[in-house]
Amino acid sequence: MPGEVKVVSRPKGEASYARAAAKGMRITLKHLLNPAKKTQQYPDEKWELSPRVRGTHRMAVHEDGRAKCVGCGLCPTVCPVNCIKLVPAEDENGERYAAIYEIDEFRCIFCGYCQEVCPVEAIHLGVHYENAEYSRERWVYDLERLCEQEHDVTALWDPSDPASQ
Amino acid sequence: MSNGEHQNTVTLTVDGVDVTVPEGTRVIEAAERVGVVVPRYCYHPGIPTRPAQCRMCLVEVEGRPKLEPSCTLQAEDGMVVLTASKTAEDARQAVIEFLLVNHPLDCPICDAAGQCMLQDFAYVTNQLESRMDEPKQIMGRDRISDDILYFADRCIICTRCVRFMRDVAHDDALIVAERGHKSYIDTFPGRELNNPFQGNIVDVCPVGALVHEDFVFKARAWDMDATASVCPGCSTGCNVTIDTKENQIVRMKPRHNSKVNSYWMCDYGRKHLVMTNRGVRAEVPMIRDGDKLRATDWETAISWVARQMEIVGHETGSAVISPQMSNEDLSLLWSLLNWLQIEKVEFQVSSGETASLPSVPKLKLRADRAPNAFGLELFGAERVQHLSSETPESPLVVMGDLLQDAPEKFGMGASFFLYLGTRLPEAARNAHAILPVVTFAEMDGTFTNFEGRVQRFHQALNPPGIARPGWMVLSRILAELGTGDVISDVRSAFDHLVKNEQAFEGLSWDGIGLKGAPVRGGHEEVKNLVPS
Repeated sequence: MPGEVKVVSRPKGEASYARAAAKGMRITLKHLLNPAKKTQQYPDEKWELSPRVRGTHRMAVHEDGRAKCVGCGLCPTVCPVNCIKLVPAEDENGERYAAIYEIDEFRCIFCGYCQEVCPVEAIHLGVHYENAEYSRERWVYDLERLCEQEHDVTALWDPSDPASQ
Repeated sequence: MSNGEHQNTVTLTVDGVDVTVPEGTRVIEAAERVGVVVPRYCYHPGIPTRPAQCRMCLVEVEGRPKLEPSCTLQAEDGMVVLTASKTAEDARQAVIEFLLVNHPLDCPICDAAGQCMLQDFAYVTNQLESRMDEPKQIMGRDRISDDILYFADRCIICTRCVRFMRDVAHDDALIVAERGHKSYIDTFPGRELNNPFQGNIVDVCPVGALVHEDFVFKARAWDMDATASVCPGCSTGCNVTIDTKENQIVRMKPRHNSKVNSYWMCDYGRKHLVMTNRGVRAEVPMIRDGDKLRATDWETAISWVARQMEIVGHETGSAVISPQMSNEDLSLLWSLLNWLQIEKVEFQVSSGETASLPSVPKLKLRADRAPNAFGLELFGAERVQHLSSETPESPLVVMGDLLQDAPEKFGMGASFFLYLGTRLPEAARNAHAILPVVTFAEMDGTFTNFEGRVQRFHQALNPPGIARPGWMVLSRILAELGTGDVISDVRSAFDHLVKNEQAFEGLSWDGIGLKGAPVRGGHEEVKNLVPS
């Protein structure tokens, strides 16, 4: 049957906006009275992060400033998104080291496998999330930049309860 | 295993499975036949001596009071062997525990990690923790030859390397120095490790104690792709495995073939192949445009070449072919040469010093430093010492890399000069067309070795630019000339070879398999086919 329009009549209580407006106002008033639920003044005020937050990587260094990385190649192997590039080489003492070590933070999914797999506890994720760059290339952190990071490193598990019991 | 010969056999039971083996077979080998790999370190099938000193292959034999090393124990009729009984496994676990007392466990930086027998069997025996309280002793590393490093800490003194040098290479250069926990591998005082086959000690090392200097810290085992291939270093045609990473050859290892190279290969072959990574390659087809060569695409290049050849016509010319080309390349090339009615085909083989491994008579570094000189002879090409420098005004076909030392004016006078090669030497600039072909590592194909054994190799690398296998390029030219079909897979190319060259009759790509097969029934018959 063309041309017929079905008209639905809703009860007055539902059709009115008064009820929803009152509900919204109740929340506004509740937040007004509760100082814990206010807008955070973000750049000035920051969240307190859990020590287990997984953010920007950081490379541990020896006392003389050398990276602790031995270039074993386990992190690029375990990395699920292939964001780590590693070229190992031999230094003048015959030790293995990472000649090229780059992490693409843009591609990284911050799973923490690299930290977990590292046999010498060199690469860590960090308690840090504020990364902003003008170009994508800048997101590729080289070894020097990874060593320069100063934020806290992520605790992947509670040291007093490593098996999470 | 009845092979028609009068050989006595014995039947024994390994882990509940009956197996019949020739008399004199060791239990470790009999166990392999039923799929049981008894853990072993000092035993290597290619090394004749079995000192049974690693004590890893101990097995229980019913009715005998003590465990027996299966690598020296001869199989006997009615023997009941238990490789995985509680006693045997306990003994193995104890051996592993002792081996790990001083092992540095530097697997993350060890080049053998992932291909290490100590890792494998430590996992199997579930040896997870050490009961040793004393600190590990540190011995450091040493250079035992100019290209092999020795990491003494990782060494488990299986003496495979010492016995390879002594019993296979017949060169007493290596010894076990000191005794007990202080033992290490060293050269005999006053001797140097300087043998053309010494690289094999790295392959026999079950752990990462011996490492080639040019491989150290280069690649992890799981990063590399392994491809079955044939060494192009000389006419022996050793079966090899090419390990590649990021489209580069990083390492070569011998692949077992009892008919050719047994378990070994020479150092020249190893280094020669890794060198193939280097050099500037021909990447795009180029055709003559006035006095210049112009890069172009395949379609244009091939139709241009075919047109030029039709203009030149069936004129008697000459051809120079490199013995690095595969049999399939040669087969298609001969079809083209027949079309052009070229009969004078020359090839040149560079030669070098020979070296032999005493206990494997067939395995030699032969003077002919090319893999397919014999194949070329089968096709009827003529071996020359020097390429003729003056070219008559007639068609000239050059295939392969043999113009590096050619005079600058090589091929200038030719009425049509076609060059198919992987590189761009000076003399190639005189060509009317340059068609880039690929090396053996970048395609599938076969070589015919010094005794007429046809052996398959497989593609390990991606070709540079738009270079293509020679047989593919040639078949397209032939199709353009209207004398054949386009061939784009190696099986069809091999069929073309079998159909067109009588020496290869009866062979098939699948039939020759990875171990190869002789042409026309073997060496002797082949010699008669070749006009000497």
